[in-house]
Amino acid sequence: MLIKMAWRNLWRRKRRTLISSLTVAIGLWVAISMLGISDYSFVNMVNTSASMGFGHVTVEPTGYMNNPGFNKRIKAGRDVTVRILAEPGVTAAVPKIIGPGMIGTASKTVGGVIMGVDPARERPKDNVFFRAIVEGRVFSQPGANEVVIGRRMAERLNLKIGKKLVYTVTDINGDIVSDMARVCAIFKTGDDSVDGGTILLPINKLRATLHFGPEDATLVSVLLADQREAEATSKNLRVKIGAPGVDVRWWSETQPEIAGAITMDRAFHQLYQSVVWLLVATGILDTMLMSVLERKREMGLMMAVGGSPTSLFLLVLTESLLTALTGLVIAILINSPWYFFMTHHGIDLTSMVPEGYGVSGVVVDPVIKMTLFKESVVRILVTFLSLAIIAGLYPAYKASRVPPVESMKAI
Amino acid sequence: MKTLAMALRNLGRNRTRTAITLFSMAFAGAAMILYMAMAEGFVQTLENNTIGKDLGEVQIHAKGYRSDPDLYKRIENADDVLKVVERKGFYGAKRLYGYGLSAFGNASAGIMIRGVDLENEPKVTTISKSVMEGGWLDSSDPRGVVIGKKLARTLGVRLGDELVVISQASDGSMANEVYKVRGVLKTVGEVVDQGGLLMGEGEFRRFLVVPTGAHEIAMTRKNKEWGLEIATAETSKMFPELEVRNWRQLQPILSELMEMMTYSISIVIIIAYSSVAMIILNAMLMNVFERIREFGIMKALGVSPFQIFSLITAEALLSAFFAGGIALAFGAPASLHFQEKGLDLSVFTPSFNLSGMSLDPLIYFRLSPKAVGMPLAFMFVLVVLATLYPSIKAALIKPVDAIHHQ
Amino acid sequence: MSKNLFRLLPFLISFLLCLFYVQRDTAFAETPEAKAERILNKIDDMWRGESSRGVISMKVETANYTRSMRMEAWSKGRDFSLVRILFPLKEKGVATLKAGNEVYTYLPQTDRTIRLTSGMMMGSWMGSHFTNDDLVKESRLLDDYEARITFDGERNGKSELDFSLIPKPTAAVVWGRIELTVAEGQIPVKEIYYDEDMNVARTMTFKDVKILGGRRLPAVLRMTPADKPGEFTEIVYETLAFGLGLDETFFSISSLKRK
Repeated sequence: MLIKMAWRNLWRRKRRTLISSLTVAIGLWVAISMLGISDYSFVNMVNTSASMGFGHVTVEPTGYMNNPGFNKRIKAGRDVTVRILAEPGVTAAVPKIIGPGMIGTASKTVGGVIMGVDPARERPKDNVFFRAIVEGRVFSQPGANEVVIGRRMAERLNLKIGKKLVYTVTDINGDIVSDMARVCAIFKTGDDSVDGGTILLPINKLRATLHFGPEDATLVSVLLADQREAEATSKNLRVKIGAPGVDVRWWSETQPEIAGAITMDRAFHQLYQSVVWLLVATGILDTMLMSVLERKREMGLMMAVGGSPTSLFLLVLTESLLTALTGLVIAILINSPWYFFMTHHGIDLTSMVPEGYGVSGVVVDPVIKMTLFKESVVRILVTFLSLAIIAGLYPAYKASRVPPVESMKAI
Repeated sequence: MKTLAMALRNLGRNRTRTAITLFSMAFAGAAMILYMAMAEGFVQTLENNTIGKDLGEVQIHAKGYRSDPDLYKRIENADDVLKVVERKGFYGAKRLYGYGLSAFGNASAGIMIRGVDLENEPKVTTISKSVMEGGWLDSSDPRGVVIGKKLARTLGVRLGDELVVISQASDGSMANEVYKVRGVLKTVGEVVDQGGLLMGEGEFRRFLVVPTGAHEIAMTRKNKEWGLEIATAETSKMFPELEVRNWRQLQPILSELMEMMTYSISIVIIIAYSSVAMIILNAMLMNVFERIREFGIMKALGVSPFQIFSLITAEALLSAFFAGGIALAFGAPASLHFQEKGLDLSVFTPSFNLSGMSLDPLIYFRLSPKAVGMPLAFMFVLVVLATLYPSIKAALIKPVDAIHHQ
Repeated sequence: MSKNLFRLLPFLISFLLCLFYVQRDTAFAETPEAKAERILNKIDDMWRGESSRGVISMKVETANYTRSMRMEAWSKGRDFSLVRILFPLKEKGVATLKAGNEVYTYLPQTDRTIRLTSGMMMGSWMGSHFTNDDLVKESRLLDDYEARITFDGERNGKSELDFSLIPKPTAAVVWGRIELTVAEGQIPVKEIYYDEDMNVARTMTFKDVKILGGRRLPAVLRMTPADKPGEFTEIVYETLAFGLGLDETFFSISSLKRK
């Protein structure tokens, strides 16, 4: 009964209702878009940084984060990886060796990061270097004297496919050891520091050079189906496979710069959203208040014929809610095609962004897309409806306070 | 003037309606002022945090230094250059760079040694205030050095520890010296954090045998209104034998990142303005259409269409004027407050903190002329535009129709 | 530096012996590859157990500075060497020790001993054209290279042998090829290092042959980088003595610090 009345009241002032619904709809559209864009870039950055070597969750030697180097290692044999893979949500558990070294040719020697990877277990999805190979192909055999280098390093050291380099590292005993490798592939991520300072070797070869045991590794990179589970998964794994000397960390701990950038990004989106919400609320409040004030006489009449203040209060509240819901419907209509476009196609800014665009060594995809998590959408809707109700409170209150007699006198 | 007086009286007649209209417009206006101040301040804060900490706005190098740094590629007459740029309108500081090795106990790390112009550096960057532990360099303590955050961690050193620094001096001899850690820096920038070791200029010159010249002159403009591009171009012309570059050219990626952030803020501003527009439109339309009968009667009494039009427009402008005033009265002090204290964004961050990130989650607003001018101008323009349709309609309506309208 | 010379030393001695045999048995049918290998092998074998001490002066000429230094050097076999700077005063007492796989440098000014890590390898040794890497890398000529004799005859009135050393496919060396010229059976004349594209990277020349420590050797070694004309590092052997019976324990960190 109330709802019917409220609804009819609204549509008696078509223009006004439409305008405020539209305000609400646009506000909603903006809020959802911003959330979607922010979430997409967040997921994207996390996944890209995970594919740079550390994974979403990392099983590493204690103290590795503060002082990385080949002198720290963990046992990463079959038994360990099997137990990690048994954990729900884990899609890959890949042992790697990572450490610093010198890389040289007859023309020059430079410092860089040397990574030992197992090509059989690395999926291009999880390894940004393999994804970015522009020339050549990855190791022909597990123990081959082959190396994958970045384009910039190839330029600096005057290297091409098939030419050799010598890498020098400090092994497990603290001795300086060298070995050679021929370039089998060149990658280009677009980030100069990565392309100029990282080389990949077959893990077994690097193990031998470093005098590591056959199951030793610097860390195990764990990849998840849903990167939002990273913190929880790391806690679970710590309990299940933690041991003295072994630590389990998630990406925000292993890559604090990325974590920081992401936080900043999200904080900003929160801020923008607050502004939008505020304006939406004002739109509803404004309209409702006006409408109440103009209907003083009407309301006075209702009171005179036996209506209660409560019913008036509820009436106005319902009107405000209905306005909001109308706005919601319009928003859904606008949003659906937009959402579809943004999730599958996105706004491509590649022309605007130069080569080598990255944040702290992680190359960022210059295509703006959206990802909407169910939880986030629910959160927005709840906020929105609450706001609609809160905005309607004051006008509703004003309505309920109209004394029957006085109102007859108002124009 | 009669129109104005009437407009004012009209507004006064229905105080509640006027109040609501003004309130919502003022609120929107104030929100926009605050938001604009934040946006302006944000870009400024970002710049301060990234380039103000260490990069400087403009840098001068010897030709070829940046692509291939070398102890020997120096600006020989650095002091003269410094004097000239200061007269031109910059604060400038000399910097010297060398590469070497530092060792502490069993740990060692490659380092970038920087000789700091103690007198001038604080005028150009805030690095002297970015010490996390301990204190900044002091000319009375030449063997005291300040090191980057990550370097301290890699070497495992703390305040007061002594580390050995080894390098090759400019005469080919081996330079080695023991230095005491006087201070450890906060996050300042990737290079300094990872391997930066800072010492006084005098000590650098002695240690690496570089009696004259500098590798880099870092500068900031005394007057920020002097366009960066122009400043760079003019300075470049003065020193054709040197390389003069501003931070956007030195760090194109950072520059693009900031552009993108500014761009996204602008988009949000546009969207916010649209919301504001909706509100104002709403108010203005209602203002007229609720009173269409009134206007009909006025016309019946002989008021000309033009007069109706002017009256409505005058009401709208007055509303805008008052609303603008209120918006300013609330928006400006609030912005100034955040200009002083900054808005602490850490309320919005989830479980982890921002250590390791060179951006502080503290945004300082900036109440610039643009921050105030744009929202107010927008409001006025919008009010006029929004009133256009209804006021024309009201002006042209036939009195009979008007009376029956509702 | 001193390493290079000492490496070639026994190599030269055995040449005398080998060539003597070769001269005698011309009927002995041997391929040039086998001959080269045999010769180089003999040298490597002779090399073990040999100890020496010398005083060396070094002059470095680069685009930015000219340096003169004087040092004392001991060595035993391929695995042990100790070099101590005598002059200039600023660096007097700086000593570098190589013992097996470990390399240490002692700095008297700061009284610190640093162990060389992979990060320090690219640095030039004492500002010269030799790198720390040259110092540390053992001369595994035969392990790392295939040797061939490419010239065996008379040149400029002297009998000369040219060796061509091609790195084995998996050898951890940056060079594409090394060409070695030896005169009168035992005296090195020239050693040319090529990069992988077969461009000359650097050249070492040996001059001023005289009697040192009872052996006939070149006293002056000069290393010239190919890409920097006018630059060189020249080493001059002032005195040299062999067969001192040095013990491995002599090559220890405590020896580093001794004055």
